[in-house]
Amino acid sequence: MTQTQTRPETGEAVLPATALDRRPSFVARNRTVLLGLLGAFVVLLAWQLSVWAELVDPKFSSSPFGAVEGLKYLNDSGLLWQPTLDTLQSVGLGMLISMAIGIPLGLVIGRSVVLHGLLEPLIGIMYSVPFVVFLPIIIFWFGIDGTARLVIVVWSALFPLLINVISGARNLDGNYLQVSRVFCAGPLRTLWSVALPGTMPYILAGLRQAVGRALVGAIVAELFMGTSGLGYVVQTETANFQLDHSMAAIAVIAVIAVVLTRGVAWLENRLTFWSASVG
Amino acid sequence: MAGSGGRDRAVKLAVRDVRIGYRERRNGRFFAAVQNLSFEIKDNEFIAIVGPSGCGKTTFLSAVAGLIEIASGSLELNGHAIQGPGPDRSLVFQQHSLFPWRTVTANVGFGLEAQGRLDEHGRRRVSDLIELVGLNGKEGKYPRELSGGMSQRVNLARALATDPDLLLLDEPFAALDAQTREVMQEELTRVWQADSASGGKTALFITHDVPEAVYLADRVLVFSASPGRLVESVDIDLPRPRDPGVKRSKEFAELNDHVLGLVMQQAAISRGGAR
Ligand SMILES: Nc1ncnc2c1ncn2[C@@H]1O[C@H](COP(=O)(O)OP(=O)(O)OP(=O)(O)O)[C@@H](O)[C@H]1O
Ligand SMILES: [Mg+2]
Repeated sequence: MTQTQTRPETGEAVLPATALDRRPSFVARNRTVLLGLLGAFVVLLAWQLSVWAELVDPKFSSSPFGAVEGLKYLNDSGLLWQPTLDTLQSVGLGMLISMAIGIPLGLVIGRSVVLHGLLEPLIGIMYSVPFVVFLPIIIFWFGIDGTARLVIVVWSALFPLLINVISGARNLDGNYLQVSRVFCAGPLRTLWSVALPGTMPYILAGLRQAVGRALVGAIVAELFMGTSGLGYVVQTETANFQLDHSMAAIAVIAVIAVVLTRGVAWLENRLTFWSASVG
Repeated sequence: MAGSGGRDRAVKLAVRDVRIGYRERRNGRFFAAVQNLSFEIKDNEFIAIVGPSGCGKTTFLSAVAGLIEIASGSLELNGHAIQGPGPDRSLVFQQHSLFPWRTVTANVGFGLEAQGRLDEHGRRRVSDLIELVGLNGKEGKYPRELSGGMSQRVNLARALATDPDLLLLDEPFAALDAQTREVMQEELTRVWQADSASGGKTALFITHDVPEAVYLADRVLVFSASPGRLVESVDIDLPRPRDPGVKRSKEFAELNDHVLGLVMQQAAISRGGAR
């Protein structure tokens, strides 16, 4: 929301350019990103150097260049795109289910004193217990097919989302609800036009956590009971001592993780710009 | 449009022996914020309520808005007991009540939207009101991009949009600086006179500011120290339309001193009671 841009549609005054104006340099504008890249580069370089210096055995440690080779191998042997799609599909479907359950349920629980009293402790426990311990039970219930994997993804994503939506609904400004009442808005209208946008910052914070946990859930499910997906690739390639291939698959997972969390962060900027530090 | 000559006009709001209070959460004891309150408001009257802080003004206004129930007595609007919020009333909140995720236009239109009246005609009314309160060019702005004075203009326009029979205002200008407040008082009188969608309106205006009350109102009601009841109803027979110059007249000064005296007296009682 920069104030210096031209806004012809509102006819707003534009700051005149002066001799003192300086566009910040490329480095200054992208400092955080550049520093992050530099840090990653240094670590990768150290890794590669220690392989070249024969401090470590690439058979065990793999290496950055080896991983690039591995990526090429995965691509050539069909172990790249299909597994990536499979993993993304688990995450996407799991997130959709979690949102469809978590957002309405969270709003209702957060606005109802009784439901909140009844369910809050349970939800808190379910959120704190590492979901991985439920893996054997879920396998026992659902077998090891796609359903079981989906259940794990939903299980891991639902609770952070639910917790955030509940606290958002509870922290909803009472003034907004009063406005809604004074103007005679019905309960559905209030839910849709007031409670939902009012809790949007919390919902998106919940989604950001949930999407990270959904990915973990999907990968864990693939590691332990997979027949496809990137986690399965990592599992089988490591079992065959192909560390380079595993590293390549892990790098792909890392990229997915970054893209997903960045995507939600972008969504947060788009949808909750109004709540960003009141200027 | 004279203020005091309305003896024969219909009664808009009848307040009889009203008591309103809160129950303490811990011991369930009832605590009266307003007690033995009785008065009437006629059609098209602009009423200002003044009184010491904590005397139950907001409580009373909330009851008229239908947000809280009265404990005893009767509170009738157009001859019908007030049961809850209704489209015949709107409330201008003190502050922080605009939806930050809605633009100016969408905020002003909220009441009409909630009541399913945001059709072609409703939308025209919204844009007319935005123009009337002087916010042209700000239609697409979000509340965080507005100054305090602009926010209260939006707040006022939102309340007027549903074309209420009775407009309730709870210290709408209290959070503004002195200059902006003066401007807003003028704006309110102007808007009041200009917005004749239903031909005249009745208003109940709460304020801490005695000159503001005298400048705006046809009648000023002075509330007692807590629990609030009516101490005196002061007719303000200054001619209308009023311009800010009236504040320098002798009549204004006399009325102002009179009301201020009453308020100070109650405030002193309120302080004494607290000791
Ligand atoms: N929600 C509430 N629960 C319990 N007591 C309340 C509540 N709201 C107000 N009160 C009490 O009721 C009394 C009247 O409060 P109210 O807000 O109506 O005063 P007021 O005249 O509007 O004061 P001010 O001029 O400072 O705004 C006060 O003693 C206050 O402590
Ligand atoms: Mg008050």
